[in-house]
Amino acid sequence: MIEVRDARKWIQNGARRVDILKGISLTIPAGQFVAIVGASGSGKSTLLGLLAGLDTPSSGEIWLDGTPIHNLAEADLAAVRGSKIGFVFQSYQLIATLTALENVLLPFELNVAGSGLKQARHLLDAVGLAERMDHYPVQLSGGEQQRVALARAFVVDPPIVMADEPTGNLDSSNGRLVLDLLLERNRNAGTTLVLVTHDPEVASRADRRIVLKDGQIVEDTLPGIAPHGTSDAADPAETSVHG
Amino acid sequence: MAKRALSWKRAAAIGWRDLKSAPGKFGFVVLSVAVGVAALVGVRGFSDSFRRTLSVEARSLMAGDLSARIFRQPTADENAKIAGLLKSGVQTGKQGGGQSTWVVETISMASVPPDPVPVLVTLKAVDAVEYPYYGKAELEPQMTLAQALDGDSAVVAEEFLIRLNARVGQTLRLGGRNFRIAAVLKQEPDRMSAGAGMGPRVMISFAALERTGLLAPGSRAAERLLIKLPIQADPVEARKQIEAILPDAQVVDYREGNPALTQGLDNATAILSLICLVAMVLGAIGVAMAMHAHLEQRMDMLAILKAVGAGSADLLRIFLLQTLGLGLAGGLLGVAAGVGLMEAMPAVFGKLLPVHASLQFPWRSVAAGLGTGLLTTLLFCLPPLLDVRGVRPVLVLRRLVEPGPQGWRSWLASWWARRLQLGIGALVVAALGGIAWALSDSAKVGGWFAFLFAVALLVLLAMAAVTLASLRFLLNRVRLHLPSFMRHGLSNLYRPGNQSAAVMAALGTGVMLILAVFLMQAALLRDLRQTASPKLPNIFLIDVSSDEAAGVKEFFRHQPGITQPLDLMPVVRGRVISLNGKTLDQLAQDKSSHFPRQMLESAEMSWADAPPDGDKLTHGKWWSDANAAELAVGEGVAQRLHVGVGSAVDLDIGGTPRTLKVAAIYRADGQHLGARVTFVLPSGLLKNEPATWYGGAHVDPKQVPALERALFAAYPTVTVINLADVLLRIETVVDEITFVVRFLAGFSIFAGLMILASSIASTRFRRMREAVVLKTLGATRMRIVQTFSVEFSVLGLLAGSVGVVFANLLTRVLLHKLQVGFHIEWTATLVALLGTAVLATATGWIASYRILGLRPLEVLREE
Repeated sequence: MIEVRDARKWIQNGARRVDILKGISLTIPAGQFVAIVGASGSGKSTLLGLLAGLDTPSSGEIWLDGTPIHNLAEADLAAVRGSKIGFVFQSYQLIATLTALENVLLPFELNVAGSGLKQARHLLDAVGLAERMDHYPVQLSGGEQQRVALARAFVVDPPIVMADEPTGNLDSSNGRLVLDLLLERNRNAGTTLVLVTHDPEVASRADRRIVLKDGQIVEDTLPGIAPHGTSDAADPAETSVHG
Repeated sequence: MAKRALSWKRAAAIGWRDLKSAPGKFGFVVLSVAVGVAALVGVRGFSDSFRRTLSVEARSLMAGDLSARIFRQPTADENAKIAGLLKSGVQTGKQGGGQSTWVVETISMASVPPDPVPVLVTLKAVDAVEYPYYGKAELEPQMTLAQALDGDSAVVAEEFLIRLNARVGQTLRLGGRNFRIAAVLKQEPDRMSAGAGMGPRVMISFAALERTGLLAPGSRAAERLLIKLPIQADPVEARKQIEAILPDAQVVDYREGNPALTQGLDNATAILSLICLVAMVLGAIGVAMAMHAHLEQRMDMLAILKAVGAGSADLLRIFLLQTLGLGLAGGLLGVAAGVGLMEAMPAVFGKLLPVHASLQFPWRSVAAGLGTGLLTTLLFCLPPLLDVRGVRPVLVLRRLVEPGPQGWRSWLASWWARRLQLGIGALVVAALGGIAWALSDSAKVGGWFAFLFAVALLVLLAMAAVTLASLRFLLNRVRLHLPSFMRHGLSNLYRPGNQSAAVMAALGTGVMLILAVFLMQAALLRDLRQTASPKLPNIFLIDVSSDEAAGVKEFFRHQPGITQPLDLMPVVRGRVISLNGKTLDQLAQDKSSHFPRQMLESAEMSWADAPPDGDKLTHGKWWSDANAAELAVGEGVAQRLHVGVGSAVDLDIGGTPRTLKVAAIYRADGQHLGARVTFVLPSGLLKNEPATWYGGAHVDPKQVPALERALFAAYPTVTVINLADVLLRIETVVDEITFVVRFLAGFSIFAGLMILASSIASTRFRRMREAVVLKTLGATRMRIVQTFSVEFSVLGLLAGSVGVVFANLLTRVLLHKLQVGFHIEWTATLVALLGTAVLATATGWIASYRILGLRPLEVLREE
């Protein structure tokens, strides 16, 4: 479970303070697929970064499965990221000098003892890249690179997968394929999926849709249920936004 | 449409904006230019100042207007002629006005009682009333030389006091007499003309020297005539006259200064300048590589500029100005550092030079350094800059432009497309030859330098490429079995845009230079030490008089530790009048410039009625009559003089002319003294002439000090030269020279490291992204440190290996030419390899500063 308590993020630009997130509170139960949507500059990626421990809030708290990650030392934070979170980025972020197989292996080698070769091969097979394991990123198409990134995100079996515009750089068929793979993981393995997107179609497939505007949650809905309207509305179905 | 072009001003503004965007990367580029310029300005500035000192203080540095050096004592007749010449006013029309004095320089043994251990000293005797005509001998405590050398007094160099633990006021024992140490000799004006010498310097008066009896007839002491000419006298005329009076003398007038020293200085400046040029060219290659990488990264910008209407000429203008700006910035920084380096040069060169140069701002060298730096930078950057012509605006729409046809045709086509760059490459090598020519003042040296340097770089580049390809081949086979950080670090060597092979070749060049100098030095010194085998003499006696010869022989018979008995040989000096009826003047005209005239003017002869020990007869027959009108000649001398058995040799021995016939040709071995003399004569012809005896023996090194002590007590005028001391002295000089060379070669390593730094800085963004992706995936700082450290250190190790292999090959070839054996120096090799790895790792991290501290989100959002 992910819990955010009044998280704020600002940056100091000379004498001026720029508020990026203005007090976010929410709880994401295990296994939920949450889509975070909003216009450019609304604070979506910053929120995702805080949830994943890639950045620290200026104030407020973030708890991941009962662990407060907002004040963890860097090495502990790395361990949390490595064991609990899988990442998928819009621009794939594969290591150019490693093969597809080695890229998938990386999180395993960084965080888990033993050889992850079997899992890595199996996952690449599962995303349809059995024949391309020894290829370097530059030899793969965008869609293929993103599938390698998916396999890399899944290899340590993380309970949470976070994706930042994972289909943003892909054509519609590749985008659909990637989303299907993410959803399949969410449904079959019970992985929590937090996904930032611009695409209404992608957002419509989520269990829950959180809309950000100017650093605040302006809407938090379960698809098919009427929107709650404001961030401090209570939620009977536990999917919740705390005030 | 009207033809328009981007103005230079606007191009400069665009170029400057672009430079500001990556200050770190270009900072290293500027440094890599600065390195070579600094080295060149430092070396040439110092050399210029030194030369200026030599010419401004030429008279002082000689202590006279004219100097003539002979290796015998002048005759009364010669002295009378010299006095006559000066009295006549040397054709000035006025009588008198000129002065002359003799200065004697020799070596001897001296001790400070009660300590009986003598040391070898360089002894100089002067007439303190006359000497020096120009300049001043500086003494401590302050006094005049005439005051200090009054009676049996001596002045000594500080080194003497230190070695013998003595002080001013104590007694010095020399040639069987006691001298009072009156003062410390801080500086003597003509120190430079005296040559290197064998030990600490001691100066006494001419009269005192005569009282010691050190100057026996036939002594090899150098006698230097110093002349102060009348004011209007023509030095050229005076010189001619002196040459006529002393035909065997080396005559020099103050305007030439010290020809050997100026020649040596010019040669050293040329060689050191070329070493600096290596650093400079490496720097220029660094700029070219950085520009190439920079343009690759700026493809998008170039395409956009082209899409909005910029032409290739406009882009070329922008980047040409950028390159010139970088070259100028590097050049100016280099000039500043070079002037500082020049100030530090006396500390580096100090011991090698007998004169303290007064340093001035080296305008000429600054111009030379700056000009050379800019020119090399510009030339080397032209090929990558010309690539902007090939950028297609369509890149704006599609990042990957479809590749052309594959196969050898496309390979040929790609080279054909780069024909202009290839042509410029040839021009660059030619220009390099021109610059080397200007720096070394020799077209031949310049040409060879450019050719060999180009070949060496190509070979190093090929070696680097092959090494990298082999490592990759190996890596691809074992990569999944390697620890993750190792695999990742090694894979990074093949990162797009990494230029690993070029970095390795550049860094390898620096390693190769330093190591080759060291290997040569080590091999030559080892050879020198091996020559000192137990069979060969390790102590030499000089200046033994005929009266002492029998006693000294006897003395050696009773000394412990003698492993090879004393070989004592008499030497009588004579003059060759003619060979086969031709006078020396006639011979000098016939023969090449190598005709050994001075050797014949003052020929050394020995006597023996049977071939001496170690001499092997090769032609003819040794005489049986001790008064035969015959002589024997060594094989080498016979070849040089073109004489054989039956040739006629007219000799002047002690004023008596004799015509002798060559009866035998012999070959002397290295173990005896036979090779030391020019002719061997029957004993009857020489026995009654004044002779000096020379000896050699091998003594257990541990027993040498005791022997020296006993011999000095019994025969105070006999000088002993211990080979171990000589070798030590040679090693010290070789060490000092190679230190200077290695110091300057170090600039090439620095240039190589700057290239590495700039290459790493140019892939900085890729590295940053990689580091944060790793962090996102759970990597700790330590893991990132390990990965990058593997990359940097392996790159250093490989560059070191390339340099080590090439240095060994080069040394092997050079030593083969010198007929010296080659051995692999494992310690030096290991130090070179590890040192390069450590330096490369340190440089890599300096160029990657702040990468570790980045937060993932900072970088990932910059997408």
